Formats: sequence, C-alpha cells, structure tokens
Amino acid sequence: MSPELVFQQALNGLSFGALLFILASGLSLVFGMMDVVNLAHGAFYMLGAYVALSVVQSTGSFWLAMLAAPLALGLLGFVLEPLLLRRLRGRHLDQVLLTIGVSLVIVDVIGQVWGREVRSLSAPAGLDGSVTLIGGVYPVYRLFVMAFGVALAAAMAVVYRRTRVGMLIRAGVQDAEMLGALGVNTNRLFASTFATGAALAGLAGVIAAPVFGVQPGMDTDPGLLYSLVVVVVGGLGTLSGAVAGSVLVGPADTFGKVLFQDVALAVIFAIVALVLLLKPTGLLGRIRIAR
Amino acid sequence: MGGFRKNELAEKRGYTYRLTRRQLLVATSAAALAGCAPGAVTPSASSSVAPGKELKIGLLLPFTGVYAELGNSMRRATELYLKQNDQKLANRHVTPVYADDANVTATGVAATQKFIDQDQVDVMMGVVPTPLAYGIRNAVHAAKLIFIDTNAGGNALTRDTTNCTPSCKSPYIFRASFSSYQISYPIGDYLSAKGTKEWFLAYANYGFGTESAADFTTGITKNGGAVTGKVAPPLSNPDFAPFVTQIKNQPTKNVYSFFSGADAIGFIKSWNSLGLPAAGYKMYGAGFLTEQDVLREVKDLANGAITSLFWAVELENAENKKFVADFQKSYPLLPDVFAVQQYDGMRALDEALKALGGDTSDKDKVVKALEDVTFKSPRGDFTFDKNTHNPIQDIYIREVKTQNGQTVNTISDKIAKVTDPGK
Repeated sequence: MSPELVFQQALNGLSFGALLFILASGLSLVFGMMDVVNLAHGAFYMLGAYVALSVVQSTGSFWLAMLAAPLALGLLGFVLEPLLLRRLRGRHLDQVLLTIGVSLVIVDVIGQVWGREVRSLSAPAGLDGSVTLIGGVYPVYRLFVMAFGVALAAAMAVVYRRTRVGMLIRAGVQDAEMLGALGVNTNRLFASTFATGAALAGLAGVIAAPVFGVQPGMDTDPGLLYSLVVVVVGGLGTLSGAVAGSVLVGPADTFGKVLFQDVALAVIFAIVALVLLLKPTGLLGRIRIAR
Repeated sequence: MGGFRKNELAEKRGYTYRLTRRQLLVATSAAALAGCAPGAVTPSASSSVAPGKELKIGLLLPFTGVYAELGNSMRRATELYLKQNDQKLANRHVTPVYADDANVTATGVAATQKFIDQDQVDVMMGVVPTPLAYGIRNAVHAAKLIFIDTNAGGNALTRDTTNCTPSCKSPYIFRASFSSYQISYPIGDYLSAKGTKEWFLAYANYGFGTESAADFTTGITKNGGAVTGKVAPPLSNPDFAPFVTQIKNQPTKNVYSFFSGADAIGFIKSWNSLGLPAAGYKMYGAGFLTEQDVLREVKDLANGAITSLFWAVELENAENKKFVADFQKSYPLLPDVFAVQQYDGMRALDEALKALGGDTSDKDKVVKALEDVTFKSPRGDFTFDKNTHNPIQDIYIREVKTQNGQTVNTISDKIAKVTDPGK
C-alpha cells in the first residue's frame, strides 16, 4: 500500500467508524441505563431510513428527514417502553426476547408499507460533491459524516457530564432503584432514555442511507450486527466505549476487508474475538455487578 | 462436499417419509386410496379437449429477506401468465402453491419436501439462490418431480459434474433463466476480441459472483487477455468506498464487475463519488449491475456502463413490447428480468402440456415435450438445450444511456445462440 492509499483508506475507515458510532450510540445508551440489549435497535435504524425516504420523496428535503426520522422513532420508543418493556422490568432476558419480537413486527410492517425493493437516498445538495484531497477526489458527504459523528459524541458527552439529565442518567446507570428511592420518576426517565436510543437509531437511519442504502435486510446487516460489534468491542453501556469501539472497528473493518478479501466476512468477528479474549469487558467497559 | 451429503440425507429422509405415509394410507383408509387411484390414472385417458384435472404448481420463492422483491416479481409474472390464459395451462386449471424460502436453504429444502410429500405438486418452479437450487436437486431428482428453475444460475445445476459436486444436471430439471457462464463468458470473449486485453475484476464474493468472474476470465484469456487484479467484497457489503478506493489506486482502467441489487447501487455510487469516471475508469459488468431496480436509484450515475444479459426492458421485438405493455396494465411498474424468466418458464410448461394434451402422468414424456418446446419469448427465440436443459439464448450487449430524462440500457450488439458448454 502506498502512503496515498493508506491515507484514503484511513479516511474511509474513519468515516465508516463515524457512521458506526451514530448507529451504536443509541444501543449503548439504552443498555447502560436499562440493562436491556435492545435487539430492535437495527429495526429502529431501518425504520428511520424508510421514514427518511418518504420525507425526502414528499418534501425533497434531506434536512427535514434528519429531523423527522429521529422524532418519529423517538415517539415510537416513548410509547413502546411503557407499553411493553416496562411490564417485564427486571426480567432482562425476557426483555431481550421481547425486543426481537418488536424487530420482527417492525421489519414486516416496513415490507408492507414501503415494499421490499432496494432503495437509496442521495446526499443532500451541497454535500453531494467531491473535494480534492491527497490521492484524488473524496466525497464531501463522508467528511460531513465524520464531522457529525464527532459533534454528536461531543454533544452527548456534554449532556452526560454537564447537565441534570446527564446526571440522572449516570445515577440511573449506577443504581436505578436507589435513584427511584431518592424521588426521581424513574418510569419517565426510562421511557425517555429508550426514546432517545430509538431516536438515535432513527438518526443513524437517515445519515447512513446515502452510504449504506435503504433495503430489506439492513436491520440486521449493517444495523444490528455492526452496532452490537461496536458496543461489545468498545465496552457495553458507556459513551466512551461506543466511541472507542467505532474508532477501532471502522478502520479495522475497512483495512481488514481490503487486505484479507477472501476472509472479509470473518474480519469483523476476528476483531470481536480478539478483544473479548484480551479484555472481556471491552476496551472501556465497566465491570458490572450481577444483580 | 458438505452440501452433497446433506442432499443425500434429505433424499433418504424424504423417501422413507413417503413410504410410511403410503403404508399409513393403505392400513388406515382403503377408501381414501380407492378415491386417489382413479385420479392418477384418468389423465392419460382424457382427450386434449376435455378439461383435465387440476394442475398443481409448487413455486418456491423468497417473499421475505433480501431477495423478497425478486420473489414478488416472479409471483406477479406467474399471475399475469395465468390471467392471460384463463388460469389454465393447456386444458388444466392451475392451482399455484407458493412457499417462502426466506433465502434460507434449510427452509427451502423443507418446503420442497412438502411439495413432494404433502402437496404432491405436478410441477415445481422458482428458486432464486443457487445454493438452494443445489440443495434441492437430489430430492427433486429422486422424486422425478419436474422442476423448472426460473432464476438460480449456478453452472453445475445443468452440467455433468464429478460425483455430482456441488450439483449436476437431472432429466427432470430444466432452467428457464440462464447459467452464469452465459452472462459472463460471452461478454469476456466479445470485449477482448475487440481489443481490450487488460482487465480488473470486482465481484461479490459468493458462489455466483466467483463463478461469473471465472467465466469472464476464461472468455478474455481465450483472446490473449489477462486479469491484472481483483477486489471481492462480501455479499451485501454495506460500504463500497474501500473497494472502489483500491480500484482507483491501480492502473487498469477497464473494470468488469458482478454485483446486483443493493450491492450494485452501493458500488456505482461509490464509483462516482470517488471520481472514477473522471480518472478514466470504465465500468463493465454482468447485466444485473444495471437492471431497472439499480438504474431507478442511481440514474445517470451508471451512464456508459456496458453490461450483458439475455434481455432488456427496451428490447425491440413484438413479444417483448406486448409483455411489457401487459405487465404494466396489471401492475404499476416495469417488468424486470426475473419476471421474464418466470413468464418464460410458465410459457415453456404451457407449450409442453399442450403437446401432451395436458397429460402429466408420464414424467419422461413431459421431459421429452419440454425438450421439444420452442417459442418466441420477450428475450428472443427460446429453446432448451436437449443435453443440459439450460436455455439456448441470444446475449445482448447493452450500454447505459440517459435519453429524454430516462436512464435505460440501450442494445448495442447481440451474441447469437449462446449455449452453455455443459455436456
């Protein structure tokens, strides 16, 4: 590999990683707070992409879709949590099973409403061009994705560390029961957290659509598969874990796939296996006390 | 090897299962058996004018999963053909029995066994993924069930192979679609004969992709051409930028690719956003790279791509014009190549049954009748190769152009009567 090629592939890897962060952040948030591996996360991501498709088709505005899809998914999450998940609170495996069911329903509803054709979204005007970088032209949209990923991570960090909501979330992650005993409405907090996780999945659906496309099967690959890989590698349930996971998995997957093409599918799992062997909690995972 | 053993097992299991069912029938219900037996005998006595008994066609298609739209399209074609023919093939009223394989081989194998044992279909059609077609080959062959493959293009399904690995031809299996050889070898031969000798390959790394790449390579090396390198992303790859970046950093400008559906869209979009057209790279491929499902999404980004296929919606012939018009009257969309394959499969079966007066009781006669079928299809002249049961068909060289705001495949040349080299 020439230095130019390494630079270009590093850009590819980092922008891929940024997409993975946007995709995985919601899953990580919900797990950290509620101890639920939300297996419907991929379906939320898919639904976000299809909502965006409809918004772009009817209004022509990608930016409107970037507002509408997270909003729609946030609402769905806000309804689903009290309606279904809350009834099984404390029964983590049952909750996980429930989220599989939710994902199956969502994916089938998408098939009924939007059809099962392969679709795509174009990058919005202004970001659909290319700029000249070392080694030739590079799509502006991928640079935007990187910037957006960094901005989102920064915004989430500020909310986590500097706001009352963030304080509540951190407290809830430590001990939700005690938080409730201190007079905080944990029901509302849990519903809001789940809604935020779903909204982030919806946002990922819009932002990733011009790169990953909009098609049947996207709920599992790349949706659920890559977000699980990122949170497992980075460490479950922490923001820094999701950041570390995406920054590692994005470039590793990119370089792995082009360097070891015959085993490209296995590269991602090799990374997971290696990290789990060396550090079972993930790169920046916290040690959980079994409850 | 593993696949073959699994087939054997499925075949064995199906065989014993059928025996016990029969034994059960004999033991418990003589009346049911008596009611069943005349039904099996009468068709041979019935004339071609009298309405024959119901014809059950088992259609194994994906209605969920990544290939769902292919299944939907093939179902539309089936229903269109039946609607045009009073729900009849020859003199027999048709009951289609649909089964969803969901792109899972085990599910499809089980559904095939159900077609054989429970539904007792007269003919089986469909099958999108090649691994599934290979997976059901032995069960279909053992049951002497007439199976018209209307998509899966793996070469081995209609060839003689050592130890039948990974699959092999059967007298009872016909293919109304294509073999991977037919969509990749001829264009390789054609392009290299025209003087383009150096090629870079980009293909989805799965059975059908690697097979097509190999057939293309055979085609170009025949005329002294050579492959200078390759990229092979996994099937359903989310991000194509890394692979297109690899292409951009090597000197061979002519790139032959094998992608379809979402992969094709991702590939073409990355190809453009990374500036390959401006850098002088030229895109070639098997026809699926630029079929309507892809062109609708990428539009003029695909302009200039040269691909080969046995059909194009723009093909100028009377049958195709009628087919496209009829399809659009029934459904609010253009037919795709999968619809054509299924439609031709129905037509071939219809012609064979007409020659037999609707009698399907003697499977070997049905085989013979199908071998003799010849008709004008939307793709041109259609006939099965008697040796392999793969279609002998013209292959069209198409170039993507945007005309009057529509991005279409324009036909630039034709390679006549391409026969699969299987023996």
